[in-house]
Amino acid sequence: MTGVWATLVRELRAYFFSPLAYVVLTLLMLINGFVFTLIVSFLNDPRASGAAAPMQLFFGQTLFFWLVLLFVAPVLTMRLLSEERRSGTIEVLMTAPVTETQIVVGKYLAALLFYVFLWLPTLVYAAVIAYYGELDWGPVASGYLGVFGIGTLFLSIGTFASTLSRNQLVAAIATFTLLMPLFVFGLLESLFNNETLKTVFGYLNLWQHMDEFAKGIVDTRRLVYYVSASIFFLFLAARSLEAKKWR
Amino acid sequence: MIEAQSLTRRYGDFLAVDQISFAVSEGEIVGILGPNGAGKTTTIRMITGFLPPTSGRVTVAGQDIVENSLVARRDLGYLPESVALYTEMRVAEYLTYRARLFGLTGGEAKQRIGEALERCLLTGVQDQIIGTLSKGYRQRVGLATAILHRPKVLVLDEPTIGLDPKQIVAIRDLIRGLAKESTLLLSTHILPEVELLCDRVVIIDRGKIVAEGTPGDLQERWVGNPVVRVELDAPRSEAASRFGSLEGVIEVRLDGARPERLEIECQPGRDLRADIFRSAVDGSLTLVELAEAKASLEDVFVRLTTIEETRSEPEVVAEPDEEEVAS
Repeated sequence: MTGVWATLVRELRAYFFSPLAYVVLTLLMLINGFVFTLIVSFLNDPRASGAAAPMQLFFGQTLFFWLVLLFVAPVLTMRLLSEERRSGTIEVLMTAPVTETQIVVGKYLAALLFYVFLWLPTLVYAAVIAYYGELDWGPVASGYLGVFGIGTLFLSIGTFASTLSRNQLVAAIATFTLLMPLFVFGLLESLFNNETLKTVFGYLNLWQHMDEFAKGIVDTRRLVYYVSASIFFLFLAARSLEAKKWR
Repeated sequence: MIEAQSLTRRYGDFLAVDQISFAVSEGEIVGILGPNGAGKTTTIRMITGFLPPTSGRVTVAGQDIVENSLVARRDLGYLPESVALYTEMRVAEYLTYRARLFGLTGGEAKQRIGEALERCLLTGVQDQIIGTLSKGYRQRVGLATAILHRPKVLVLDEPTIGLDPKQIVAIRDLIRGLAKESTLLLSTHILPEVELLCDRVVIIDRGKIVAEGTPGDLQERWVGNPVVRVELDAPRSEAASRFGSLEGVIEVRLDGARPERLEIECQPGRDLRADIFRSAVDGSLTLVELAEAKASLEDVFVRLTTIEETRSEPEVVAEPDEEEVAS
């Protein structure tokens, strides 16, 4: 555990000391702020159907949400292991008494915590709604749970991709390449008439997942999917790191 | 403390290290010497467990570095050739992180860090960002990292490479100090370093051990017969024949450009300086110099590693995974 903890603390520090993190934070706040304003002014239009709640639309029901996630995950994870290998710090790291798994898990958790930190400012929107109107905090909480769940999945894929190359850019593109089909797969659901295929792709439909979370439906199957897939990719990351020695 | 048994490492078809075996006992300083590309770094990486050997095994402080890796790594301090550090961190922060990796926390960690900073003369820069430090300081930060957990075995890969002469002297003093507590294995291609620091030398070339022994041993074994160097006040034609007739002399060589200088090769184990002096006096030759020519370790090294100058193999000291694949 000391290995995981030490790595986690160091990586978190590295996030907060790198300018890139602040660029991402600023961008995320700009885009989220823009989306939030858009949603609020849309719902203020008397002609809009009054059924939707602003925070419900905010979580996952705009393309912006997904665009941001698809870019944030690679940017947050690209450095994790590729930089260790490029600079050579991997050598002193791997000769310290820590295992590959501990390193991967520590780094992944740091990325996840920073990801959570990135979303914290959006709590302001919920507060604004609660101040000017009525807000049901339940769906907001489950919405955040969905954001967190999808984060665990995306970041684990990014962590794995980061072990593949010593070039950060290559790692980022690899992450994006892996995330894209994962996201698009689910959207294919509507193309099928076959019941079984519809169910299979429906199960993978992240947009659908977020829609449910935003409405306050917490389906444990979704959470099991995120967690098990994350564990799988972290396992791959640790093995990939180990395999680098043998080449 | 370190035992390497028939270590072999291949990179694809290239045999980087071929059946290397040696041992370093407790308290010893052993130097691995070899030209660039000889396989020093590969050997060191196998000893520290960073690279698994293709075949053979290594034990550090009695523990197998591959099978019992985590335990073995606790007793190991390592300064890699690249001395890669996290450049955005401050010196003390980095050492705190390293201490944590070794499971040191709280007061114990603080004390060890203070100790390491002091020994490596880093107290003045502990709050500086590593990226702003000079190469010499970074090297010392690397050394501080290596000794932080008081390892039984210290492995240093080219510890003085890229430093200026003053820094080299400082680092050498530091290494000599470290040797009092740890067993030391260091690699270098700088000869004086070996003569100054090491109890024993392992010379490797093209992945094989070509010689092993104390610096003195190697000189004796590889330099050949003792040679006495003589200089006369003026060239004298009879000098060569006169000295050549002495008992125990094998050959007298004249320096072509300066005929007043002679080199007299003697039979092994014989010191003929006194005889040469008397013979000179008898023949009324005036000696201005009479000395034993001592071959340096450099000569040994050059002789051992340049037997065939035609090298076709590529130099492989770099990373084990050269290619850039994101598959």
